[in-house]
Amino acid sequence: MFTTKTFIKKTRIGHFLKHVREHYIRDDISCGFRSCEKCNPVESFLSPNHHNKCALFNYDHYIILDTNVILDQMDVLEEAPIGNVIILHTVITEVKHRSLPIYKRLFTLIENPSKHFYIFTNDHHKDTYIEQLDGELVNDYNDRCIRKACSWYMEHLPNEKFILLTEDVNNRNIAIEEGITACSIFPYVKHMNDNAVLEDKLSRKEIYLDKDARDLFPPHLNNVQLLNGIKEGTLYQGTFRASRDNFLEGFVNVEALEDQVLVQGRTGLNRAVDGDVVVVELFDKSDWISPSDIILEDEGTVEDVEEIEQKEKQLKETTTKKGEIKPTGKVVGIIRRKWRQYCGILQGGLEGVYQLFVPADRSIPKIRIETRQAEFLKTQKLIVTIDSWPRYSRYPHGHFVRALGKIGDQSTENEVILLEHDVPHSQFSEEVLSCLPKLPWIITDEDLQKRVDLRDLDICSVDPPGCTDIDDALHCREVGDHLEVGVHIADVSHFIRPYTALDLEAQSRGTTVYLVNKRIDMVPNLLSSNLCSLRGGEERFAFSCIWEMDKKANILNTRFHKSIIKSKKAMTYEEAQMTIDDKSKNDNIAKSLRYLLMLSKILKKGRLDNGALVLASPEVKIMMDSETMEPLDIEVKKMFETMSMVEEFMLLANISVAEKILQDFPECACLRRHPVPPSSNFDPLIKAGRHLGLEINVESGKELAKSLDEAVKPDNPFLNTMIRILATRCMLQAVYFASGTMQKEDYFHYGLAVPLYTHFTSPIRRYADIIVHRLLAVSCGSDVTYPDLLDKAKTSEICQNLNYRNRMAQYAGRASIAFNTHLFFKGKLQDEQGYILYVRKNALQVLIPKYGLESTLYLARKGESSDIFEYNEEDQTQRAKDVVLHAFDPVKVRLSLNSDNIQHEKFVLQLVSPYIEGFSVPPIEEMDTSETNIESGKKRKKDGNEKKSKSKKNSKNTN
Amino acid sequence: MSQKFHIRLASQRVNTSIAENQRYPKIFTPGETITKQNEFMRGHGTYEDNGELKSSVAGVREQVNNLISVKPLKSRYNGEVGDIVVGRITEVQQKRWKVDTNARLDSILLLSSVNLPGGELRRRSVEDEHMMRQYLQEGDLISAEVQSVHSDGTLSLHTRSLRYGKLGQGVLLKVFPSLIQRSKTHFHNLPVGASVILGNNGFIWICPIINNSEDSVGGFVQNLEEKVPRQERESIGRIRNCIQALAMCKMMIYDTSILYAYEESLKYSIVELLVPEAMVDIAILTQHRLSMIEV
Amino acid sequence: MSKKELLSKIGLRLDGRRAHELRRIRCKLGVFTEPDGSAYMEQGLTKVLAAVYGPHQVRGSKSKAQHDNVVINCQFSMAVFSTTDRKKRPRGDRKSTELSMHLQQALESVIKTELYPWSQIDVYVEVLHADGGIYPACVNAATLALIDAGIPLKEYVCACTASLANNDVPMVDISHQEEVLGGPTLTIAALPMSGKIVLMEMSQRFHLDHLDKVMNKALQGCKDIRRILDEAVRLHVRDVGSATGWALAT
Repeated sequence: MFTTKTFIKKTRIGHFLKHVREHYIRDDISCGFRSCEKCNPVESFLSPNHHNKCALFNYDHYIILDTNVILDQMDVLEEAPIGNVIILHTVITEVKHRSLPIYKRLFTLIENPSKHFYIFTNDHHKDTYIEQLDGELVNDYNDRCIRKACSWYMEHLPNEKFILLTEDVNNRNIAIEEGITACSIFPYVKHMNDNAVLEDKLSRKEIYLDKDARDLFPPHLNNVQLLNGIKEGTLYQGTFRASRDNFLEGFVNVEALEDQVLVQGRTGLNRAVDGDVVVVELFDKSDWISPSDIILEDEGTVEDVEEIEQKEKQLKETTTKKGEIKPTGKVVGIIRRKWRQYCGILQGGLEGVYQLFVPADRSIPKIRIETRQAEFLKTQKLIVTIDSWPRYSRYPHGHFVRALGKIGDQSTENEVILLEHDVPHSQFSEEVLSCLPKLPWIITDEDLQKRVDLRDLDICSVDPPGCTDIDDALHCREVGDHLEVGVHIADVSHFIRPYTALDLEAQSRGTTVYLVNKRIDMVPNLLSSNLCSLRGGEERFAFSCIWEMDKKANILNTRFHKSIIKSKKAMTYEEAQMTIDDKSKNDNIAKSLRYLLMLSKILKKGRLDNGALVLASPEVKIMMDSETMEPLDIEVKKMFETMSMVEEFMLLANISVAEKILQDFPECACLRRHPVPPSSNFDPLIKAGRHLGLEINVESGKELAKSLDEAVKPDNPFLNTMIRILATRCMLQAVYFASGTMQKEDYFHYGLAVPLYTHFTSPIRRYADIIVHRLLAVSCGSDVTYPDLLDKAKTSEICQNLNYRNRMAQYAGRASIAFNTHLFFKGKLQDEQGYILYVRKNALQVLIPKYGLESTLYLARKGESSDIFEYNEEDQTQRAKDVVLHAFDPVKVRLSLNSDNIQHEKFVLQLVSPYIEGFSVPPIEEMDTSETNIESGKKRKKDGNEKKSKSKKNSKNTN
Repeated sequence: MSQKFHIRLASQRVNTSIAENQRYPKIFTPGETITKQNEFMRGHGTYEDNGELKSSVAGVREQVNNLISVKPLKSRYNGEVGDIVVGRITEVQQKRWKVDTNARLDSILLLSSVNLPGGELRRRSVEDEHMMRQYLQEGDLISAEVQSVHSDGTLSLHTRSLRYGKLGQGVLLKVFPSLIQRSKTHFHNLPVGASVILGNNGFIWICPIINNSEDSVGGFVQNLEEKVPRQERESIGRIRNCIQALAMCKMMIYDTSILYAYEESLKYSIVELLVPEAMVDIAILTQHRLSMIEV
Repeated sequence: MSKKELLSKIGLRLDGRRAHELRRIRCKLGVFTEPDGSAYMEQGLTKVLAAVYGPHQVRGSKSKAQHDNVVINCQFSMAVFSTTDRKKRPRGDRKSTELSMHLQQALESVIKTELYPWSQIDVYVEVLHADGGIYPACVNAATLALIDAGIPLKEYVCACTASLANNDVPMVDISHQEEVLGGPTLTIAALPMSGKIVLMEMSQRFHLDHLDKVMNKALQGCKDIRRILDEAVRLHVRDVGSATGWALAT
């Protein structure tokens, strides 16, 4: 039973190649029914116990699906009432070909035994295999295969009933003619019992014909025209990125062009959604404009066009042909949509079945959905996905997927943040938990033999207060003239063996995610807080990195081995600092801490001399009320010397380990690099510095570090921090990579100014460290390799995933802090000290260091240009009569929270000082003396602001 | 004269197998154990491994007393003393000629083993050595008899009889040696007007009738001038095609089979005999007739 | 880009076989009349012709002849139309020379060379359609041709490829598509009955842990192939033998 499939493919060069493949037809493929005697028994989830209840068909039936149903109606299929479905292999291959994400979801469905899905390999079964006729279209052939399989099933099992669900009208009709019961999914779902939720989830591609529907958007070109245009070079393909501030503007990143292409307005954007792969047509150079400086929001509620036309006009007025002119064009077609699921809420004020959904992500337009549960859903945070965007519709059409929980609830918010950032946060499954060791855990003789016993060393750990997952511990002691320093890291790789469910889950999660009041662990609690954590007074397994160095911190000798340690004490940074400072303490721990501190200072100096960067970011810590889980206070993290001490040794350990694993595994070592930022990234920094008269040199890391150190103004002590904050924003992300995929020069870590770096010291909360542990263990001879460890491609894949997860974790953390900050300020009104970060056309970007907040101070009402302020673009200043505001000027602002838009609660800033008539608000405490202030405010000179504000607000000033 | 072209596709091959349904003797394939008892002696086509006697070729077992050997279907010609062979001179060396007889190694024809022209019986002198080339050159065909077999398998030939010697006008045909049946005489004068020499080495020579009573000079003279009449040529051609047909269908070749094949072939023209279907047809009919005789 | 799964969840490969199944094999002995032995072999879509001449006098230089062994001369060539892209050089390029050497290595181990001193055996192999597993097909075809020529062999030498799917399931008899998409391919030429391995070659690397099971799979494949070849040989002998009237037996 052997045939051949012949098909002709076109190669990239344009030649035509004929491919001949074998295709075997088998007789041992089972139909999947346990009751069937003719077929071999095979594991199948089809179950006579599950009943598909549909009023159209009054009997128990099994469903056979067509590809279009699967592609469009995935959400409906995932619902519980639909089961006992037979998926044909032809259908699966087509789905995989057309949409990989849907295919993955289909697969999860199939593997779920409670859904009762079964795959039937119809193209290899001797009775259902049919040959493709000459000149038959692929689609028709597939349809024929599907129908043949249906008829076969009906013959094979005459006692069971089968329904074919397909959206293709042709297919349906022919099937009915052939005697197969066929139906479209819409009437099927309509007639199902308990169909409310299901109906909402139906994705509709049908066109609503409004009577007055007129086309709001120009048509897209068809595929052939698009491809031709790209080939000829008249059109360009790229990814569309919407602007978060301006809903009528966006950029297209085209590989072939250096600059991004600016697209504006309805016709310019032409229904492109953030992330789509689009095709743009460039305007003539004379028509190129610069990106607008204003912030525009979509406030439309109805499907009318006037509001949008108004906004467009405003946009046109504000865009100029001066300044940063970017290539401009318009979107003429979409190659691939990147629609995903979006979190958000319903827009209030609309009645009826058709609702507008406002996504939390600002770069996504509002979505129109149809639902019967509008009242209930208005209180909930939802997940919605887009189905289509017809020309006559202002908004894309979509359907509701599921509800997350009540709006404003802490837990809902957390859920939203985790979902939006694709963080796996479900409970650890049974399988994963079964990989954990059983308690009570004891150290056996075998373990003792394989490890070095360091239990009598004076080891201690230093961590933030309240830390339960202690990764690292240090010790230092004198050995003759020299010092022996040891860094001991929790031996996680001993407990997490490769290929176990635990390992795979950790690999997928990639990192522990820290939200304000919740921590999503990468590994289960038993390991992270107990068996792996180097708790004080407990014997634990560790991976030790021991250096012998002289008192000048020169390394003489490095060795690595697995060990057993017993940490004497687990201290906080503050405790350690106090121990060092307390002259009365002279025990071993104090002595080692002092040595460590001394060495760390030398190491740090060495690094800075080499050009390591010291950057700043406004990090805060939120104090939570343990009962109400409400934020009590927000404060900037306090820095202790001991923090730097621990950091230095961690860095040193990471570097030493990186060297060792690269030596032994030149191809597949998992390292970390920080690419040098392109010089264009530094432009805003250099510009800002220039305005202050400071020269920022960005030739090399060392030069930059020097410039940053020298960027000080005696009258503005916070200036240096702000410059560093700006510098941080110019940096690229540091990423993990497999050593064999990059050239040696590219291993460089810009920020730390070291040629080679990896992550080794936090295996409890980072998966990359676990891989490094495994590699190092092989180098030391304490463990064996496994195939994936040595596979460069697999390591590279894992690194990509880790980089993605890390990024997402960072964003999630920040979003959580932002949410809690908002929560803290709800209903409060406060005056705070701030600094201007940059000056925009209609607003000032102000940083409030106390809370680490950055927010916008609008100079004009929305849609108006200010009549008080004059914007000078070249100097980057705003002038209001005598008062000139520059970047980095200190100001005092009033902070409050505007909760009008629940999804986007905004901070509202109002200027208190420098005082500008007709604009600033009087300070809270001095409302009565406002008259005098206004007088004095008028007489204020340009740069006298700071002194005044400082003297007045002593009481309110913080660092 | 119009000529017919036959163009055939490989997929339209004719099945040349004309096997009959008979009882099959046991076939042995390489590596198969023949017997585990070790009292037998090893013959050709077997080898010993681990105390077991294993076959090294694919064929049928022969047993003579306690000598076991496996005879393969096809192999190179293995010469035995007294065989008639037809061969081609490949080299002229000192005092001997090298003859290609489709065996493992080239056979040797010593100067002392040939009849000198003129039928003299004398010692070979030095001049004779120089004149070797005049007797037999590279490329000449001869018929000879195996005199002896050397230790390395080389055959030593002689043409010391009037029947053997250089061959003149005729047609040479090469078939597998195993298809030539051993019989008393290999020189046949077929009644159909040609004579045939069935060399044991698989070379078959078809020529016009040899008159033994001719004043032969020891077979060194090639009669290349005499014109052979058309009819004889036709019969020679026909015989050649018949033998080819038999060879293609793997039938044994001996005088009777050739004669029968010749008779069956009369219904075709000589040219038509080259068509594979015709060949198979003749072979089947011949086989039929032969089996009838056996019965 | 669709990532094809070499072994689907149901256990079927890209062409519908299961992991342990060989491709369809068809073979025929005695396809040519001129050479002493010849054979034609099809493994899946890979088609190979083999022809054997000998043993005969050593042609060319006499120095090549050995006094105690027969000289085996192999030549491997691929027809210009055998691959999707027309090949420029049918023989003489690196790959052909390497495969010729491998072929010689495999055959030398199995031919009873001591029986034919001073002689030479020529083996010519031509690939008509290359679709993965060319070397095994050549070895198998050469074996058949040798048997057809009546040259004594110790036993059959068979060859087979094996690989890993999804990084842990061994598959046998790899087609060209699977070779390209998949991972490392292990080729083994072995004497199936005695279990001795004559030649082992691998295209990429994989971890030592997997070596055992892949090797076993390939050896099993060799055994299966041997059975098929044996069948074919018997059938051929029967045919020819009965045509000749079993005169040989007497």
